[in-house]
Amino acid sequence: MSAPRAGTGAPARALVFTLSVRRAVRSGALWGAALGVITVASALSYERVYPTLALREALARAFGTNTMTIALFGPAPHLDTVAGFTSFKVSLTLSVLASLWGLRAATGALRGEEETGRWDLLLAGPRRRVATTAQALAGVAVGIVVLAAACAIVTALTIRSTAGGLRATQVLGLGGAVLAAATTFAALGALTSQLDRSRHDASTTGVVVLAIAYALRLVADAGLGLHALVWASPLGWIEELAPLTAPSFVAVVPVALWTVALVAAALRGARIRDVGAGLLARDDRGRRHRRLLTGPGALTWRLLSSTILRWWIGITLGAGLIGLVARKASSTIGGSSVREVFDRLGATALGTRAVLGVASLILAVVVSLLAVGQVAAARAEEARGHLDWLVASRVSRVRWLLWRLGAAAIALAGVGVLEGLATWGATASQGAHLSPVLLFEAAGNLLPPALALLGVATVLYGLWPRAAVPVSYGLVAWSLLIVIVGGIGAISPWLLDTSVFHHMAAAPAEAPHVLANAVMCALGVLGIAAGVTAFARRDLVGT
Amino acid sequence: MDAPAVRADGLTKRYGRTVALDHLDLEVPAGQILGYLGPNGAGKTTTLRLLLGLIRPTSGRAEIFGVDAWRDPVRAHARVAYVTSDVDLWPALTGGEVLDLLGHAHGSVDAALRDELIASFDLDPTVRVRAYSTGNRQKVLLIAALMTRADLLVLDEPTRGLDPLVDQVFRTYIRQARDRGQTVLLSSHELSEVEALCDRVAIVRAGRLVEQRSLAELRQLSALAVEATFPGAPPDLRAVPGVHALVVDGSVLRCQVDGSIEPLLRALAEAGVTRMTSREPSLEELFLAHYDRPDVSAP
Repeated sequence: MSAPRAGTGAPARALVFTLSVRRAVRSGALWGAALGVITVASALSYERVYPTLALREALARAFGTNTMTIALFGPAPHLDTVAGFTSFKVSLTLSVLASLWGLRAATGALRGEEETGRWDLLLAGPRRRVATTAQALAGVAVGIVVLAAACAIVTALTIRSTAGGLRATQVLGLGGAVLAAATTFAALGALTSQLDRSRHDASTTGVVVLAIAYALRLVADAGLGLHALVWASPLGWIEELAPLTAPSFVAVVPVALWTVALVAAALRGARIRDVGAGLLARDDRGRRHRRLLTGPGALTWRLLSSTILRWWIGITLGAGLIGLVARKASSTIGGSSVREVFDRLGATALGTRAVLGVASLILAVVVSLLAVGQVAAARAEEARGHLDWLVASRVSRVRWLLWRLGAAAIALAGVGVLEGLATWGATASQGAHLSPVLLFEAAGNLLPPALALLGVATVLYGLWPRAAVPVSYGLVAWSLLIVIVGGIGAISPWLLDTSVFHHMAAAPAEAPHVLANAVMCALGVLGIAAGVTAFARRDLVGT
Repeated sequence: MDAPAVRADGLTKRYGRTVALDHLDLEVPAGQILGYLGPNGAGKTTTLRLLLGLIRPTSGRAEIFGVDAWRDPVRAHARVAYVTSDVDLWPALTGGEVLDLLGHAHGSVDAALRDELIASFDLDPTVRVRAYSTGNRQKVLLIAALMTRADLLVLDEPTRGLDPLVDQVFRTYIRQARDRGQTVLLSSHELSEVEALCDRVAIVRAGRLVEQRSLAELRQLSALAVEATFPGAPPDLRAVPGVHALVVDGSVLRCQVDGSIEPLLRALAEAGVTRMTSREPSLEELFLAHYDRPDVSAP
């Protein structure tokens, strides 16, 4: 007989499932609604910005066969329809966000709970590890359904009350694609939670797989005759579902096989490994390296260098990939209508420079995430109590934070150099003779928005440490959303002004906005100064 | 005259409407070991974090060797080492690397003592922190604090997670530290540990300091525990001045007596007591007595 448990009201047998559902449903509903809002905003902006058939056909001619934009965002069929434009504009964003949600939910429900020691308490009762893992995953599955349903419901309700343009079956298919993306990466998270022994490592492995999946899909869609590669990428499978333009159920097969295989492997891993351990063997002994232990500055570099290095490699590869396909993509662009579309996106030049200018938004978002990530790392150091040990000795907390921010500055400066070099090398290899000065200027143009966001994140960290990380990442997402939705004129100017990316020039397609960049840099520096001052005056706080 | 190792003057910490520490006045002379006692949530850790300048006082002042802990933490902490039981160290570093790091952060390390401590605490410094047990992580922090020979050791539940053998090693080094003139502020629930190590005891309750004396003084001022055996049923002693906490178990009576014991001795003799023992209360009994009395928290 299963007795109810005090507080949860759940039968003891289903306790883990109930706890997992609670967490997943709340978060799923919130994220799903946000995905719905992104979809609706895109559909509405299309109707407002491209009200006539002529404009829509011009858009379709400009981007319908453009390999650069297809490589970056996915296929663009039927751009002369609301569904086609919405699919082009948000499909990849939705897939990536849903994938991240699935990964986060699974690693949180499994490795996150285990890491805190809560699973020790649960497994000390009459429960099997496999059943506990299965229950936690079942809870995540309910959350995934809620995520997809919330996205579909918000989209359907809002579209119906406005101008419309999406059929019910298309909205349903959109929800299905969200469900598939979240399921695919939740299954991956289930497996990485067995392989790695910290949630951070399990999530990082998952994000690396997601990045590889994106790169594979990019190459598959880059018009290099390698489209079959799309079947090697989980993001490619979601793309092939194409719920808004040409629904295909063939891609459901790899999604289902992947999910079943990974979940089965995860359950097997849960059965054979020790609680608290990972399946991947790790060296728990190490030689004593004293070089980078001489103070907070050295320690900062020791703790952050590998992460910063990974960011640098990723951004260099990304910039290089974009540089490689930019010239070929630009060759498909021509005509005054295309120029008009690029103008709307901020790129006033044509050719390779225009393509690089449009792609600079993606790079700016990544660089901003790198900047905010440094504040997140500082906060994690404080929340775990590591900072207490340093501050309780002769280390000044202000000095410690300045070292951290200095590392962020080095990371950003490195990005400027590497991105410029990678783009210059890649474009030169394709015969596009762009001035290195122009390309380094464009790389430097990515930094002011990142610096502004670093300043905001530092202020938040100084004043409101527990909320600093989610709010700062939220600001990056907000800025991206605003510029995606409103960058082509669909929302009010004051709302546009709230996005740092809106103020960034699409360099090298256009000259950097010197004044805007100066203001963003000043905001960043002021934010850092205010944040450090506030940090010096507040309590150190844990989780 | 040298400043005391620790001085708290009207030290108060509020979190919104919650008062975590309420006008604490505390002084620890240099060279003493002070046991800082209190139940969970009484404000012990808050006091230590205020003394270390990790959190900001709402009002009042905390000084370490005469230096304000909040305004000038770097100078104040030059003479301090800190240990807590909530151990979450850098997982990718080895134990030896953490010792190096914290040694550099403090500024001075007795390398010979460090090596001796590593051997005495039986710690393998080549293992990464993530692979250490809770007890081994605690050992790393204890070694890191002791190896600095800091003038003031601030210890918050330092032996939680340690086995009894390591606990004995810890006590040995703390006594040595005191003998060298170091000051120790020891917050602990291990009353036997406090009893064995401390010169003085401070008891905090609901954010307020309710007692601060030497153990000897506390015992003098506290009730004497008495056990008496009678040939038949024990007499009713409720009216005897100073007697309380009466418990009758067959022909055996147990009670506590405050103040003069003479009235009780007279009453026992009249009742024909056949056997009687008395003893001073243990620290545990003293501690519990402070928490049984509702009036002790009154200002």
